[in-house]
This record gives sequence, structure tokens and C-alpha cells, in this order.
Amino acid sequence: MEFLTHDILIIGGGLAGLRAAIEAQKAGRDVAILSKVHPLRSHSVAAQGGINSAFDNIPVPTNDSWENHSFDTIKGSDYLADQDAVEVMCREGIERVIEMEHWGTLFSRTEDGRIAQRPFGGSGFPRTCYAADRTSHNLLHVLYEQVVGLRIPVYEEWHALSLVVDEGQCIGVLAFPLFEERTVPIRAEATILATGGYGRIYLRSTNAIINTGKGCYLAYQVGVPLEDMEFVQFHPTSLFGTNILITEGARGEGGYLVNVKGERYMERHAPHLMELGPRDIVARATQREIDEGRGFEGQYVHLDLRHLGRGKIMDHLPGIRQIAMDFAGIDPILNPIPIQPAQHYSMGGIPTNVDGETPLPGLYAAGECACVSVHGANRLGGNSLLETLVFGARAGRKAASNVKRKKRESNPLAFQKQSEAFQSCLHELSSRQEGEPCFRLRDELKTLMTDQVGIFRRESDLLSAKEKIRELKERFGRIGLKQKNLDFNNEWIQYLELEGMLHVAEVITEGALTRKESRGSHFRTDYPDRDDEHWLRHTLAYKTTEGARLEYKEVTITNYPPKERTY
Amino acid sequence: MRKLTVMDTSALILKIKRYNPEKDPPRWTETFNVETKKGMNLLEALLRIQDEQDPTLSFRYSCRGAVCGSCAMKVNGKLVLACRTPVEGLLGETTLIEPLPFFPVIRDLIVDMSLFFEHYRGIEPYLHGKPIPSDCEYMMMESERKEIDPYIQCILCGICFGVCPAFGRDAQFLGPAILAKAYRFLRDPRDRREKEILNGVNDHRGVWGCNTVFQCVKACPKEVPPTHAIVKMRGRILRYRFTSLFSRFLSMSRRIGSR
Ligand SMILES: Cc1cc2nc3c(=O)[nH]c(=O)nc-3n(C[C@H](O)[C@H](O)[C@H](O)COP(=O)(O)OP(=O)(O)OC[C@H]3O[C@@H](n4cnc5c(N)ncnc54)[C@H](O)[C@@H]3O)c2cc1C
Ligand code: SF4
Ligand code: FES
Repeated sequence: MEFLTHDILIIGGGLAGLRAAIEAQKAGRDVAILSKVHPLRSHSVAAQGGINSAFDNIPVPTNDSWENHSFDTIKGSDYLADQDAVEVMCREGIERVIEMEHWGTLFSRTEDGRIAQRPFGGSGFPRTCYAADRTSHNLLHVLYEQVVGLRIPVYEEWHALSLVVDEGQCIGVLAFPLFEERTVPIRAEATILATGGYGRIYLRSTNAIINTGKGCYLAYQVGVPLEDMEFVQFHPTSLFGTNILITEGARGEGGYLVNVKGERYMERHAPHLMELGPRDIVARATQREIDEGRGFEGQYVHLDLRHLGRGKIMDHLPGIRQIAMDFAGIDPILNPIPIQPAQHYSMGGIPTNVDGETPLPGLYAAGECACVSVHGANRLGGNSLLETLVFGARAGRKAASNVKRKKRESNPLAFQKQSEAFQSCLHELSSRQEGEPCFRLRDELKTLMTDQVGIFRRESDLLSAKEKIRELKERFGRIGLKQKNLDFNNEWIQYLELEGMLHVAEVITEGALTRKESRGSHFRTDYPDRDDEHWLRHTLAYKTTEGARLEYKEVTITNYPPKERTY
Repeated sequence: MRKLTVMDTSALILKIKRYNPEKDPPRWTETFNVETKKGMNLLEALLRIQDEQDPTLSFRYSCRGAVCGSCAMKVNGKLVLACRTPVEGLLGETTLIEPLPFFPVIRDLIVDMSLFFEHYRGIEPYLHGKPIPSDCEYMMMESERKEIDPYIQCILCGICFGVCPAFGRDAQFLGPAILAKAYRFLRDPRDRREKEILNGVNDHRGVWGCNTVFQCVKACPKEVPPTHAIVKMRGRILRYRFTSLFSRFLSMSRRIGSR
């Protein structure tokens, strides 16, 4: 069996993965990145609005500081975030963003030439740095440029199949190049998962099509728990139809949300912050307007930018204008944009400490697939890009420093066994040509998640969702594939992704069913209040043959005792 | 599935150029009928075919929002991003779909972009920053940013290469997107390079290979204007040549004068 070997293997070429790679390479390690798409095609490229950092570049009556940023983040999280981790992010974020500027990110500028900042939902200050409304396109291209400059090798269009564990240690992965007829064992002293979110288990999602949560499943499959998965963020403003995101920046710049009666309905839901209320509150308010018959055609409301004028729209929101024109045939200078809420962000993920270490030695995680936890029950806009950079760098650094301490011979048998298991699985699947096709199960799952485990949740829905997922898992066992080759086998990829999606959906549903309170993004119509006495704790879900087994762990509180969250 | 007739104006009929080196013959065209819905785009239609009709049909995709640069292809002779192409305009008549031209085809609509990225790496596409303390940003004016901004929009989709006669003729030509990228660094006040960048593009593989027919500018889905960058870099190079000629002339005439 031929092996590839690296000190550190990073799975994922989005912001978190690239930032981790840069840090580890600079520490002198042999690093490689593996990604199922070219890094520049990662979901990170789509983020629009911006990245938070308490620079205090915009004159306001009081000064901003990383402590203020921490407070807003913790309050926004509905007090479920681990406060020590939030403090690390807000403090180190300042350095990370300046470094991105030094590497070439073309941030928009203030009049005196500094990085411009705009207000974003749930923040007390204009703290969100932006590059027009294509912030992360800029960030990702700049990081990739650094990766090119450092000559870090990338296994492009390779799919990570499974983690290989031996004697309680992650010793590498089994992967396969999508266009070749072979699986490849890759030995690594440290493996960093940076595989992004799992939005596409929902029917309506702002995420890239490739965001299926496979990375979380890779960890879950080998016994690592998943944390706080029931906390799924829904964004209030996705374009009706394709659900492409219309950034919060559009409201930051002064856009109005208007229902069919012409009312700015946020007046009723968050009278002080109005459209700039935090996401969960604006998303619920919007869904409620639609559900209660105050939407257009029963399905959407309007985001009105017309009063901002052509100049401001062209200067600050050109990408949004382009999206509205390309995908809805509407010019926001002339007409309001039809929007509806959609799944947007995965707060939960693979549990890590502030150095990206997971409970499994040798395995690290960073970015959206990880749960440090800095977002708790609800992420503030502009904080996840920051998270990818801060914790990507930290995971890279920690992995690099751990690697030099020990070198061990890894066991080739462990790889061999898994490789054989995959071959025979594929063989069996393709012998069942008449089995049910994957896509039907996938579509049923997505609809189910949006309908029953979405913005508003209640026991009866969650129970029926749980039942249905169990049924889907059973049917999954009877799936058949038409092709039996490994290369270019789209069905096989779908099958692998669907397996993870079913498990991730199960964990979300189980967590949501058990958590009998409402906190941040998790809203139970039958338990509408937050219940700190019983539920100020993190959920940990472990894989068992019967489904997910839940445990709980304490939230770390440093300087900010839980208070009621009002805006 | 709904039965489609030729007269059905809501029918999407896609004739797709296929390629699989393991088949005999390796190249063929295949026609698929797709049921459409309101607001559907071409990428959704292709995904539907992959799901419901032929799982072997291969193409790249990721964002479905015209930002990742995965899904460039040729549709009725025009180069487009599939996800940004509404099917509405394609209904009724047969639509021909082909891979991006000038790149080797790997399978169906998937092409090998390695040469593209080789050219990309060739210009050292990362900021070579002027020295600055690590705790503050470079000062930059909005006007300077706006100057570079159009070139930053590039998503490296390869469409401009596929319409470029110079690249079609000579694969060593750096290509529109890459020259636009070089210009982006040249114009960035934070980058300390100038001569290096200009030297790197000062030959027939670079700015002098361009036919200035503006095909790339017309085809780019992100409104990047590569030809403008090329023309501006030519101007700078000529100015340099002129000034260096001039200064050589000056120093020569001074020497003559001091004799
Ligand atoms: C439309 C949109 C707008 C957003 N705007 C903002 C914003 O303005 N501000 C903000 O802070 N946040 C924003 N976010 C959130 C933010 O973009 C993401 O959280 C962040 O980009 C995630 O980065 P990542 O590196 O963790 O993952 P990703 O960028 O998703 O990268 C995941 C990588 O993993 C690879 N991968 C996955 N599975 C496998 C596998 N099995 N094998 C091999 N490779 C694999 C993929 O190829 C990819 O390279 C936005 C999100 C969306 C959906
Ligand atoms: S310049 Fe335009 S066409 Fe060329 S690669 Fe960039 S985005 Fe694509
Ligand atoms: S899928 Fe990303 S550009 Fe089309």
C-alpha cells in the first residue's frame, strides 16, 4: 500500500483551512491541504458583509474596544458562548484582520484612509470591516495568494473519506482523488478539519451546494461528539427563489424591511434596533409576518433599498445589486428585493478548545465545522469570518508545536482495513442497481428539516422528524448505485455525503427535541422562554447504533454573568 | 416525468457534448429534456439531469451564486457561468452545451485548468508589501481602492481565456485574467514592486501578445476589464523605455558636451 505522508494534513481549503496551513507552514512543518473543490471555490468565497474587529476607526461618541466586542458577542450568543474563547477571538482578531490587510485585502476605507467599518446586527458599534460587499471573496483570494507564495501543496478535488484512528490517536485520513480510480491513505501526525458548515441539509439555505457537513460526520463517525448542533442560524434576508444571501450589510447601510401592508414591521419586534436587531430576532419576526399572512404571495417580504439612492447602492452594495439583477431580475435602485428567511450558519460542530484541539488526540478542527464555542446559541454577523482566521491560525500553530514533540510509526493495517471496507461497500452498492436512488432521500430530508426542524420548533414536529429520519436511515441501507467505478462517480459522492447528512440531521433533531427552552436561534413555541437553571449548558451528542446519545457540559463564564437579552 | 413534445415551449432541451476517454467513441453528443420551473437556472437543470437521468454527467459547481468560478461553459456558442444563466431564455429550441474551449477536457464539461493556474503562479500573485509596523494598517485612500477594485472582482473562472484569440493561438500567453491580476498589484500603493511586474509582462507572452479585441472585457461575468489593464501596462512600459532612452540620450549628450 502506497502512502502519502505529511506532518500536518488540513482538510478544507476555505478561510479556516488556508489560515491554519499558513501558520503551520511558517512554523516549519510539512503541511498539505486537501479539498474536494479548488480552494477558491470554497463556500468562504461567498461571504459578503464583513468581518468584526474593534478598531474604533469610525468616530462615535464612545470608544470601541475588544471588551465591548466580547460583550456584544456573548449577549448575542444568549450567554451560551464560552466566554474565555470569545475573549481570545475578540482580542486576537485585531491582529488577524490587520495581517489580512498587510497581505493585500482591499478593504473599503474611511476618509482618512483607514479600514472602513459599518454597523452590523447586534453590535453596539460600527465594527464590521468590509471590502464593499465582497469581503470574503477578497479575504479568500488573499489567503490563497499567500498559500501560493509559500508553495503549500494542495490536493485539489480530493474527497476525504474517513479518519483513520489507531490506539486512540488520529493518524491520518483515507482520501480519494475525484477523477482517479484509487483511494489513497495519507499519514499525518496532525489532521485539521476545516470542512465548513452543514447548511445543505436544509431545503432553503444560503450555503454553497457543497456544504453538506461531511467533516462533522468524519469526526462523529470515529467517536468524537458533536456540540450544540441544535443551534442553527436562519438568516432573515435570502433572495426569494434561489435563497442566495442578501447581506445584513444592506440593512447596515439603512435598508428597510417592509410587509405587504407597507409597514416596517421591525417596529413591533425590536423597536430600538429596528432592522439591525440580531439575526434570530429579525428572522423570526420575518417568518411570523409571512406565516400570519402579511407577506407577498404568502411567501416573502420586501427589503427596500430605494431610499439609499443610486450612489450609495453602487458604492457600498454593488454585489447585492448584481445578485438581485442576475437572480431575480430586479434592480434594487428601482424596486424592492423579495426576501425570505433561510438556513444560514451552523453554530454547532466539533468541540475544540481555544487551540483547535478536539477530544481525539491528533485531530484538530477550526472554522464553521468547529464549536469552540464563540457563537453559543446565535452568531453575530461578521464574527464567523473572524473565527476562521483566529482559530484557524491557532489550530495551525498548536498542531505545529505538538508535532515536533513526538514522531511515531503509524500502523499501516489500520489504513488497509478501511480501504478494503470502502471497496467492498462500493461493490455491494453497485450490485444493487435497482435500489432507491440517493437524491430522493436527500430531497425528502431537506424538506423535512426546513418544515419541522426550522425557525419555529415544537415537540410534535420534532418527534415526527425523528421518526422520519430513522425511516430515511433504513431506506439508506437499501440504496443502489448504477456505477461501480470510483472515478467521476457522482452517485457515490452523493451517497457518501448523504450518509453524513442523515446523521447530522439526527443529531440536530435530537438536540432540539431534548432542549426544552428557547435560546438564541433555537426557538421552541412550546417552551418560549430561556431557562438558565436547566439549560445553560452545551449539548454533546455521541454516535451510537441506536442514534445520538446526549450529554451536557458547563458553559465557561468569566466576566459577563447571564442577563436577559433584550434589544 | 412529463412527456415533452417538440412544440412544447416550456421544454428545455439540452444537447450536451460528452467526453469519456474510456468509451468508444470517446466523444459524442447527447440530448436531454428537462422539466423546468420558474426562475430556474442552467446549473439547476444540469443537476437535475445528473439526479434523475444520467448520474455520469460530469461538471463542476459549488456556490450556485456566480461567485466561486466553478461552472464556466459554452452555451449556444457563448461562454457563461451556468448558475448565472436563467433557462427562461433557452426554452423551446435546442441548446448546445460544450466545455470551456482551449483547455484540455477531462470529462464531459470538466476541463483541466492547470495551465491557467500555472500562469497565475507565474506572476507571483501576492502582495509584496512595503515595510510597515505590524500593529497598524497601510493608509490608503478610497480613490486608490476604487482604482483597483474592478480587477479584484475576478473569480478566476477562465471564461476570458476561452474567448481570447491570443491564448487560443499560444497557450504560453499569460491570458487576460492573469494580466489583470498583475495590474492589480502594480496599481496597489502597498506593493513595492513596479519594474518586476512590468518586466514580467513585457513580452509576447505578456501584454504584447494581446490583440486588443476586447473579447475578454465583453465576456467577463464579473465586469473585469483585462484589456484596459493590458493597455495601461503597455503605456507604462513605453513610458519607461522612453524615459530610459531619454536619460541615456541626456547622459550621452552631457558626456559629449563635457568633452
Ligand atoms: C452567503 C453567506 C454569507 C456570509 N457572510 C458572512 C459575513 O459577512 N461575515 C461573517 O463573519 N460570516 C459570514 N458567513 C459565514 C462564513 O462565510 C463561513 O462561516 C465561513 O466562510 C466558513 O469558512 P470555513 O473555512 O470554516 O469553511 P468553508 O469555506 O465552507 O470551507 C470548507 C472547505 O472544506 C472542504 N471540504 C468539505 N468537506 C470535505 C471533504 N469531505 N473532503 C475534502 N474537502 C472537504 C471544502 O472543499 C472547502 O474547501 C456567510 C455565510 C454565507 C452562507
Ligand atoms: S477576468 Fe472575468 S472572465 Fe476572466 S477569469 Fe476573471 S472573472 Fe472570469
Ligand atoms: S457554481 Fe459558483 S460560479 Fe457557478
